[in-house]
Amino acid sequence: MKTSLGLLLAIGLAGLQFLAVLVVVSSSYVTSEQALIRHARDLLSDVGAGTIEHARSFLSPAEGAAELAARLAQNRVIASDDPDQLEQLLFQHLLIAPHFAGIYYGGENGDFVMVMRAPEGPGAFQTKVITHENGVRKVELIWRTTGFREVKRELDPDDPYDPRTRPWYQMARDQRNTIWTDPYIFFTSQHPGITLAAPVRESGQSTRNDRVVRGVIGVDIEISRISDFLAGLKIGTHGRAFILNSNGDVIAHPDKELLRIRKDDGSLRFSHLAELDDPIARAAFGGLLSDGQVHVAEETKTQFTYNGARYVGTVMPMGSKRLPWTIAVYAPEDDFTSVIKENRKDNILIAALVAVITGVSGLALAHYIHKPVRAFAIRSALISQGEVAPNAPMPRTYQELERANEALVQQIAARRQAEHEYGRTFELSSLGMAQLASHCGAFLRVNPRFTEITGYTAEELQGLTMADLGTGDVSVIWPVQADGRRDFAVNRDLRLLRKTGESIWVSVNGNLIRDGNGNALHVMLTIDDITATREKEARIEQLNRDLSHLARINTMGQMATGLAHELNQPLTAIAQNADTALLLSNLEDSDGTELRVVLQEIERQSLRAGQIIHALRTFIRKDEGARVGFDIGELIDQTLHLLQAELADTGVLIDRHLPVDLPQAWGNRVQLAQVMVNLLRNAIEALAAEEDSERRILLAATASSGEITIMVQDNGPGMPANLSPFTQYETTKRGGMGLGLSICKSMVETNGGRIWYESAPGRGSTFRFTVPCTPIDREGGKGEA
Amino acid sequence: MAEEELTVYVVDDDEAIRMSLSRALTTRGYRVDVHASAASFLTAFNPDRYGCLVLDYGMPEMNGLELQAHLNKIGSDLPVIFITGHGGVPESVQAIKGGAVDFLEKPFRQAALIERIDAALEIARRQQAARQAGQQRREMFNRLTARELEIVERIVERPAETSSKEIAAYLGISPRTVDHHRARILEKLGLRSIIELIAIARQ
Repeated sequence: MKTSLGLLLAIGLAGLQFLAVLVVVSSSYVTSEQALIRHARDLLSDVGAGTIEHARSFLSPAEGAAELAARLAQNRVIASDDPDQLEQLLFQHLLIAPHFAGIYYGGENGDFVMVMRAPEGPGAFQTKVITHENGVRKVELIWRTTGFREVKRELDPDDPYDPRTRPWYQMARDQRNTIWTDPYIFFTSQHPGITLAAPVRESGQSTRNDRVVRGVIGVDIEISRISDFLAGLKIGTHGRAFILNSNGDVIAHPDKELLRIRKDDGSLRFSHLAELDDPIARAAFGGLLSDGQVHVAEETKTQFTYNGARYVGTVMPMGSKRLPWTIAVYAPEDDFTSVIKENRKDNILIAALVAVITGVSGLALAHYIHKPVRAFAIRSALISQGEVAPNAPMPRTYQELERANEALVQQIAARRQAEHEYGRTFELSSLGMAQLASHCGAFLRVNPRFTEITGYTAEELQGLTMADLGTGDVSVIWPVQADGRRDFAVNRDLRLLRKTGESIWVSVNGNLIRDGNGNALHVMLTIDDITATREKEARIEQLNRDLSHLARINTMGQMATGLAHELNQPLTAIAQNADTALLLSNLEDSDGTELRVVLQEIERQSLRAGQIIHALRTFIRKDEGARVGFDIGELIDQTLHLLQAELADTGVLIDRHLPVDLPQAWGNRVQLAQVMVNLLRNAIEALAAEEDSERRILLAATASSGEITIMVQDNGPGMPANLSPFTQYETTKRGGMGLGLSICKSMVETNGGRIWYESAPGRGSTFRFTVPCTPIDREGGKGEA
Repeated sequence: MAEEELTVYVVDDDEAIRMSLSRALTTRGYRVDVHASAASFLTAFNPDRYGCLVLDYGMPEMNGLELQAHLNKIGSDLPVIFITGHGGVPESVQAIKGGAVDFLEKPFRQAALIERIDAALEIARRQQAARQAGQQRREMFNRLTARELEIVERIVERPAETSSKEIAAYLGISPRTVDHHRARILEKLGLRSIIELIAIARQ
């Protein structure tokens, strides 16, 4: 076992556990984070809305107060030219609206009454009254307590104040409507504020077209309180909300100090957003500015990164035409998500811890599971080595392993049986068997029969190879080819030398044996002593040759008369020509020309006689068994020479069809001549039995696909259908032995050809046989004789 | 009537033998007509021409023996000399029974053949002569009247009853008339006696 099952289990379990926790943690973290951020945005939205609400509720009383005062004055409930009444009215308003810094009335004639808070003066409130009685301008300052008790009164003739020159006055008068000024820093209190102005029209005029403004009621509202409100808001831990005017001025901010910037002339103004000392705000909302103006049409949520931390932000318009303000809120995400980030770290730690615990438990569990498996493995190994009996009791184990054990036990039993049988087969085989080393061919194991055949003992054979038992050629055909890569098989006959020096023939069959993975194990060799068989074959072959020779001699005996006649023909011609020559040589008037012709004819006929004798001798010659290439046409002519007499006697005509381009035939000339003589004589004899008919034999040869087919066809009576002419002792001839065609068949087949026939009673017989054109290795892989 | 030149017919399927015989016989002054087969010979054969036949025994289609039989059948008395490579006794007996002049076994000496040919031609010559004589007699007999022929036939038929009386009784005429006819017959045939008449008529 390459990797311990236990370790694998432990690591696997721990890893899986860790992974699972990690996935859950990450998933819940992501989900929570998204929920929290959504929540943060909602919170910012709420803050914005709250701020708007707050600012409205903060400012609307001023509007109400100013308009109430204006209407009172307008309807002359309070005489606007009575500074005492006016002061009292204004004082009451101021008293109930703590965020009012001051409330005042300016008349068209330049009169002015203002009540304002004066926390640093002798009383809590200060009143400034400017009157013009009889063209005399009088400026009087009065300090009062909360209970309207006069504390101090003095004149200030140096005060040049004229309400009609103030912007709030002019705006309200021009627009004839309640107006809000832009926020600004109050000169006296140096706090940011805003002024609301409502015009006081002439009473009694019902139409609005002709409104004559008599004066303007103004309210100063300190908006520091809005900043205080903002400072009191809890937006996460570090979140902030502030208010921008449409011109980009920051008019409310939790840090009030940031709002004011002192100008060169010592007066104060609002910080512009672009110069606000709150870099996060600048980064968040700087993009809202264009041409120094702020344009926000609707609530917009943003997300941005500042200094590596991520923030969420929201801007929303105030939604009031007269107060073109924008509420801006931002907060770092961490304010909302830091808790779960902390929690995430804890979770990962917990996951790691759980993984370690799981790993340890896994090890223990694996050990528990693995122990019987290991015991089983060891036991299996021992059983396979034969050190423990397969039916020995099993250690404590599982049901599954018990089933595996049963299968194993059965397998082992079957294998032992097979091995036993193989061993018996090997030892008792009637064939010589040997295992050879696949790499060098050395004998590893031999059976008794092998030692019997070779004459060597098993010990003597150790380390020898087949080549050592060979007779020379063995080393050529028995190189150690089984290098394990190529397949190796041998199946052939070899000559071996026994230990005694006796030469024997064995048939050898060898195969490379491989294991299941294709690795060469050894070469399995079987040998069989075929010396006796070989000798028997040789004897049979010799007998066959003798038989065919005898048959030939017999044939010649039968043909002797005819052959004598055939030889007599040229001899007759020679005798006649010789006499004629003698006669001519005695004639005195002969010029010798005719004599030469006659002598030439004598020569020709002598050669003819010689050819007949040659054919005869070739035919009778003892068969040497040699196969050679030869001209089949020549052989056919020689055969016809031998049969010429019989043909003539029986009046049989031969139609000889031999193509001029016949290839060479390959075989034993004598045997094939014998076949042809036999077939032709059979045909002649068949025809001779027929009375009064044209007797013809068609003798033809054709070449195709590497062999020559020779046909002998007669127009004789044919053979009965139930005859097997190639079988010995079957014959139609009176006095025939029935050997001719059976010998023909064996001779044709010995020469690598086939012989067959067609015949039907009354329609003649056709015999065909083939002769190969090229040498054929009839003996296949067998060794040479 | 001039004696016609005699012909030696040679029939053999072996060209070498045909040629050698033709050459030998021509050189010796014989008139030779060679044929390669029986059929060829029969086509050219004229029974009115005399001579002899040198015939090969073994030949395809129609062999020598068959040709001999055929010649006998058509009434030819052409003398036949068989030449054969077989030389078997049964074949020679059959040939001689068929009327062959002789039976020569191949190979044979030319002298032997010439001897046989000459003998055969002598026969042919006699045949020719006899035939010519017969012809003359036929012409003579043609001069006889019907009654005279009747009397000759009776005489040849019954040589023992040649007296005029016997013949007259047979024919139902007077012996004197028979005597007269006998004298006329002997005169017409140029014969001196009835004995002579019987001899001639029996030829």
